[in-house]
Amino acid sequence: MLEAQGLSKSYGSVPAVLDVTFRLEPGQVLGYLGPNGSGKSTTVKMLTGLLQPTRGQVTQNGEDIQKNLVEYRKRLGYVPEEANLYPYLTGEEYLEMIGTLRAMPGARRKTRIDALLQLFALAPHRHVTVGSYSKGMRQRILLIGALMDNPDVLILDEPMSGLDVTSSLVLKSLIQSLSARGKAIFFCSHVLEVVEKICSKLIILRKGQVIAYGPTREVLQNVGQSTLEATFLQLVENRDVAQIANEIIDVVVS
Amino acid sequence: MRAWKSFLRFGRDRWERFYRTPFGCLMHLFVGRMFHGGDEPGAEALGLGIGAVLSLLAMPGLLVSLLMFEKYGSLIRFLRGDGVFDPFTATIPDEYFFIVLSMTVTGAAALWRWDSIFLDRRDHTDLIPLPVSLGTVFSANFSAILILALLFTFVVNAASIVLVPVAIVGSQGSFAMFFRFAAGHAVAVLAASAFSFFAVFAIAGLLMFILPGSLFRRVSLFVRFAIAVALLCLLASVFTVPSLLLQTSVSIGHWLAILPPVSFLGVARTVWGKGNDPVVATMTHAATLAFELAILVAVITYALSFRRSFLRIPETADAGPLPRMRLAFSPLALLHNAILRQPSLRASYHFIVRTLLRSDAHLQVVSVFAALGLVAATESLMSIRTDQFFTIHHYPSADFLAIPFILSYCLIVGVRVAFEIPSDLRANWIFQLWLSPNDEQARPIARRVLLAAILPCLVPASFAATLFFFGWTSAMLHIAILTVSDLLLVEILLVKFRKIPFTCSYPPFESHSGVILIAYLFGFFVFTSYLPELERWSLADPVRAVYFVPVFAIAFTTVYSYRKQMLAMDKQLIFEERSPSAF
Repeated sequence: MLEAQGLSKSYGSVPAVLDVTFRLEPGQVLGYLGPNGSGKSTTVKMLTGLLQPTRGQVTQNGEDIQKNLVEYRKRLGYVPEEANLYPYLTGEEYLEMIGTLRAMPGARRKTRIDALLQLFALAPHRHVTVGSYSKGMRQRILLIGALMDNPDVLILDEPMSGLDVTSSLVLKSLIQSLSARGKAIFFCSHVLEVVEKICSKLIILRKGQVIAYGPTREVLQNVGQSTLEATFLQLVENRDVAQIANEIIDVVVS
Repeated sequence: MRAWKSFLRFGRDRWERFYRTPFGCLMHLFVGRMFHGGDEPGAEALGLGIGAVLSLLAMPGLLVSLLMFEKYGSLIRFLRGDGVFDPFTATIPDEYFFIVLSMTVTGAAALWRWDSIFLDRRDHTDLIPLPVSLGTVFSANFSAILILALLFTFVVNAASIVLVPVAIVGSQGSFAMFFRFAAGHAVAVLAASAFSFFAVFAIAGLLMFILPGSLFRRVSLFVRFAIAVALLCLLASVFTVPSLLLQTSVSIGHWLAILPPVSFLGVARTVWGKGNDPVVATMTHAATLAFELAILVAVITYALSFRRSFLRIPETADAGPLPRMRLAFSPLALLHNAILRQPSLRASYHFIVRTLLRSDAHLQVVSVFAALGLVAATESLMSIRTDQFFTIHHYPSADFLAIPFILSYCLIVGVRVAFEIPSDLRANWIFQLWLSPNDEQARPIARRVLLAAILPCLVPASFAATLFFFGWTSAMLHIAILTVSDLLLVEILLVKFRKIPFTCSYPPFESHSGVILIAYLFGFFVFTSYLPELERWSLADPVRAVYFVPVFAIAFTTVYSYRKQMLAMDKQLIFEERSPSAF
């Protein structure tokens, strides 16, 4: 079980995340929503141990992750917001590197890389350097890297970014299957339809603070909306999106 | 004053109006990208502004020109007892040196910008969808190249054009002589510089025209390495060619005239009024022909490669699969298994080696050092007296012993310098996620890469050569001393090292950076001159080799003690260059 308790992070005097508390149980998919700059990526970095919280802590099964980060990360799969990969490694070499850093046994590492490259339709490109991959191909490489060691906790920050239709559908189905098998999944996304469909719980963030937290149906009911899109707009955006669109058109055609 | 101000305002207005045209805007963009880098994945700008780059290019010419005041100053000549001299004859070696210098610096600058000269995929993606004609794109880029050539040519030679005539003929009291000398010098160095730039440009254009895109990327690095070696050989020729020119007969002079710096020396001498000499005429003719040919080939190949490569960018893949060479039994795999036991070491080592071998920026740095080493080692080889090689001593000369020391020093320092060039800093999350900052893994990883760069090839080759010529005792001792010296050099270079190579931004310029540079030069002298001399002394009586044991023991102990007394926080793995680091 992954738990955040009073998690806060400030950059100098500017607060990025304020007092975020939640619990992620095995088998749950927790959707983490918020507009740009609301503190989603900062939270993700604290959950992976890449950033130290200013206050609060992240625990796994009751133990502060900072006490033994290496052990914690062995049970963690992470897909970052942007597919930043070392450009001079081929797809296969990158995955070899990740597998080696995770101390996966050689035979298992090789078998899994071969199989996953095949399943993610990257086998023909395995010997091409990542620098010349498309955005979707990089994203698939990241997903393989996150999944290849069968982690207990998956932290996915915009995992569908750049994926084609088939890959997105596969990923959606994959997340549901993984949660059914007891994996705890932290899912950050701007694609509200997907979040609504696959997340059992939801957190909505605004200016670094949690403004809604609970099971997805419950959050929707509390706000009194039938869709997540309407709920999100009501909670986060106090501007009329149709009016903004009209104003943009006025500027463009003037 | 008012007229001057209005003239400046007029110029500024004209420039702003020009800059707002598609052609002016594109030209400005292309000149900027030639200074700030191309589309290579992960290539970060060096952080040097245009001013800093131009200052660096101007520096060699300025420094050498200032030395001319010491050599040709009237007071110095008076104190030396030198009387009246003919500057047109006495300065031939110096003039040759200036021509070689301007060719080398301009050629090196063109090599450095090799990738940015031509338009690439990013340009295609950004520019082709815009309503700008291809002709405008072509002519703007070509104009930018011409501006770059003019800028490099002028900046590299500006100091010498002004200072050299003043230093050499300033005290002669004849304006006619001064202007004649200055004109000859200026024409020769400017033409040589421009030739060097366009020759490199022509080679790049020719390769781009002939080869498919993916092959061009692979071959271009080897070609650049070859050109760098050629430029360094030109630089080394200043010690021999001028004396050959003064001593050799007319028939040999005709042959020497083919050498580009010699032919451009002919241009200077023609302006100085020596054009009637048949050798000088041949030199001038060769220079004119070479200059015209370089420009012609550059223009034609640029136009053809623009059509062939730029327009077909969308039809070509960025890069094809890398060649696979999997051997069933690989001695390297055995070595790797032996030296890379921990998973983190293994993963980081392969990342570093692959980046070093595939990234143009990193390979360029290593290639420059390798080329320097190659030229210095060749010089050392050439200075071995063949008549004494076998007969007088039964042990190798210091020049012979110095060759592997030179090569290993240049390669180790080259790879160490390349470690400072970032790859893609945003990708560092991978190592940040998996490596513990307190494990002190940076040095073991870097040490293995540095040693793997030299030991597997250099040590066996040196052993074989020494064994072949001088027998077992010399070979064994030579290899032992070379290996331990290399280990010591690596330890010294890594004493404060605490990052995974390529994962930090460029180290900031510190007040002691100049001292570090001097330390590298001093290290080169000690490593390649002093150690081989000591080794030769010990080989004369192998028992003396015992003296090396305490010397190396003290050196290693000093390095380890220094490392031990460092604070734990100074040994932690870092991913940003925050604190100053000496090496």
